[in-house]
Amino acid sequence: MPRAHATLISRERVTEGHYLLTLDCAEVAQNARPGQFVHLRVGDGTDPLLRRPLSIMLSQPDRREVQILVRTVGRGTGIVATHDEGTRYDLLGPLGSGWSIPQGDEPVLLVAGGIGVAPLIFLADSTRMADPQPYVRAIFGGLTTESLVCWTEFAARCDEFIAVTEDGSTGETGLVTDVLAPELDRDPPVRVYACGPDGMLAAVARICAEAGVPCEVSMEQWMGCGVGACLGCAIPSSAGGYVRVCTEGPVFDATQIDWERLMSR
Amino acid sequence: MSVAHPDLSVEIAGLSLQNPIMSASGTFGYGTEYAEYLDLSKLGAIVTKAVTLEPREGNPPPRVRETPAGMLNAIGLQNPGAEVFIREKLPELRAFGVPVIANISGRSVDEFARLAEMLSIEGVDALEVNISCPNVEHEGMTFGVDCEMTGRLTEAVCAATDLPVIVKLSPNVTDITVIARAAEEAGADALSLINTLLGMSIDVERRRPHLGNVTGGLSGPAVRPVAVRMVYEVSRAVDLPLIGMGGVMCASDALELILAGATAVAVGTANFVEPATMEAIIRGLADYCRRHQVVAIAELVGAVAR
Ligand SMILES: Cc1cc2nc3c(=O)[nH]c(=O)nc-3n(C[C@H](O)[C@H](O)[C@H](O)COP(=O)(O)OP(=O)(O)OC[C@H]3O[C@@H](n4cnc5c(N)ncnc54)[C@H](O)[C@@H]3O)c2cc1C
Ligand SMILES: Cc1cc2nc3c(=O)[nH]c(=O)nc-3n(C[C@H](O)[C@H](O)[C@H](O)COP(=O)(O)O)c2cc1C
Ligand code: FES
Repeated sequence: MPRAHATLISRERVTEGHYLLTLDCAEVAQNARPGQFVHLRVGDGTDPLLRRPLSIMLSQPDRREVQILVRTVGRGTGIVATHDEGTRYDLLGPLGSGWSIPQGDEPVLLVAGGIGVAPLIFLADSTRMADPQPYVRAIFGGLTTESLVCWTEFAARCDEFIAVTEDGSTGETGLVTDVLAPELDRDPPVRVYACGPDGMLAAVARICAEAGVPCEVSMEQWMGCGVGACLGCAIPSSAGGYVRVCTEGPVFDATQIDWERLMSR
Repeated sequence: MSVAHPDLSVEIAGLSLQNPIMSASGTFGYGTEYAEYLDLSKLGAIVTKAVTLEPREGNPPPRVRETPAGMLNAIGLQNPGAEVFIREKLPELRAFGVPVIANISGRSVDEFARLAEMLSIEGVDALEVNISCPNVEHEGMTFGVDCEMTGRLTEAVCAATDLPVIVKLSPNVTDITVIARAAEEAGADALSLINTLLGMSIDVERRRPHLGNVTGGLSGPAVRPVAVRMVYEVSRAVDLPLIGMGGVMCASDALELILAGATAVAVGTANFVEPATMEAIIRGLADYCRRHQVVAIAELVGAVAR
């Protein structure tokens, strides 16, 4: 049953407004696949009321541990950022589709924007146990150096790593998409995996389509139930109508999304 | 039955329910989504997401937004249409072995009537008529805000089916008892209330509404006092059994609605917060009965002191 109880083992401030939570949670640690999320209840009360969806950044079954990277953007994440060690959480999960797992030693390219790095760290990590090992390249972008959250954890699990910041404070100057096209050109990977803001994902999807490289994206939408019942997390589907981020996603093949309708708001 | 084993069963419009707790339409999918999280065979009934004659795409996102102790939603009746419902969803629903109440929605009286006829089949135990939707024949005015439209719609649905007809009232009206009486006079077998309260919230940083549809329906604990008041008023205005809903999170919330006059209680938003809420409420009702020496929960319906 995809529900679990977890205990907060440690909460570490990574950069301004970003916290790394380590949870003791055997059920999720044993069952999680890269790209899946947990739907976490922030407290027992009615405000905040709904659960909050958070990606699994790392899962270590042998230690029963799960790590989650939280960016404080509002009430729920703000409260989580103040929780002490020993705090108990009630969560649903692991939920949702995961990334397709790279096969053999084929080269793949991971593209992360800001907090979108979390599910990609899990993906990169899972390739390190594989034999033969896929060749993992990564592009990680953010506004400033501070936005490249957990970049050492990410870089340590990749074979090649490019950092990009808009202010040029670390790595190349610009957007991940400025680096992506030349990288696809230089040495096309068999697949691109991307997570970040919608605008970035739309651009990544377009660049990959033009280059003929398959692309998977992890999407976000405000959620109600998290289990497919309320239809609250719908995003426009390229087949017409909508798909649910919580159940058909959060990872989609980029061609499943109607990017024009998604970005029209 | 005895105080140690209180009788939780209730009757609504000829339907016998093993207990008064059911899912609220639109919050429980078609049951299967929650089958891993609780034992659906323990429920009083399952009420489905709204079914329409033709498939509906639903509204553009974002469709939900949390508000203080509540949430706004503007799903837009997304559903695969009556044919797919009957072919694919209904057989799965029936397998849970509890009564199935189909929530129906339409754009015109005629569409409602055709839908009611189509759904009058083995496996559907009652129809819940969602009158909180726009009537295209009346410039999109909501059926449920007008006595005459409510009356005509109820009559047409009752004429099209032999199933019990439950009319689901909108709280977005000046006097809900007037609409309740119109539905009663037109032949409704039961009433359910309340649907969501119309609301809106704005992202002040971006200066635009949070919801893609601009406005949405408010549900959750924030609306409970409104629901209790409306159930209380309607129970004194009509002679029909009522299904109460609105912000029920626990057994004591359900008891509030029962004491106010509801024979059964539907649980909506709480399912998102805690998928096993309904099971906990059913256990809590039995505990309450034992604690208060109540042999049958039906004794409590409308039993609030005045
Ligand atoms: C599949 C998925 C994975 C995610 N993974 C992470 C992660 O690993 N780390 C992280 O920090 N954040 C992640 N998010 C975003 C995170 O869920 C939101 O930032 C968080 O819910 C905001 O809650 P709040 O109470 O702090 O903000 P508020 O703005 O106060 O929240 C109000 C409501 O909006 C919802 N909401 C607001 N922003 C988002 C958003 N971007 N996505 C979904 N719901 C939102 C909240 O759930 C809540 O219901 C993920 C979202 C999804 C859908
Ligand atoms: C996401 C969502 C979808 C809903 N869809 C429907 C629907 O299709 N038909 C309907 O009659 N009511 C619908 N409702 C209203 C609920 O059935 C219920 O009347 C209302 O939410 C109040 O109960 P609650 O506070 O327990 O959620 C919906 C409510 C929510 C939150
Ligand atoms: S959040 Fe309810 S269907 Fe996805």
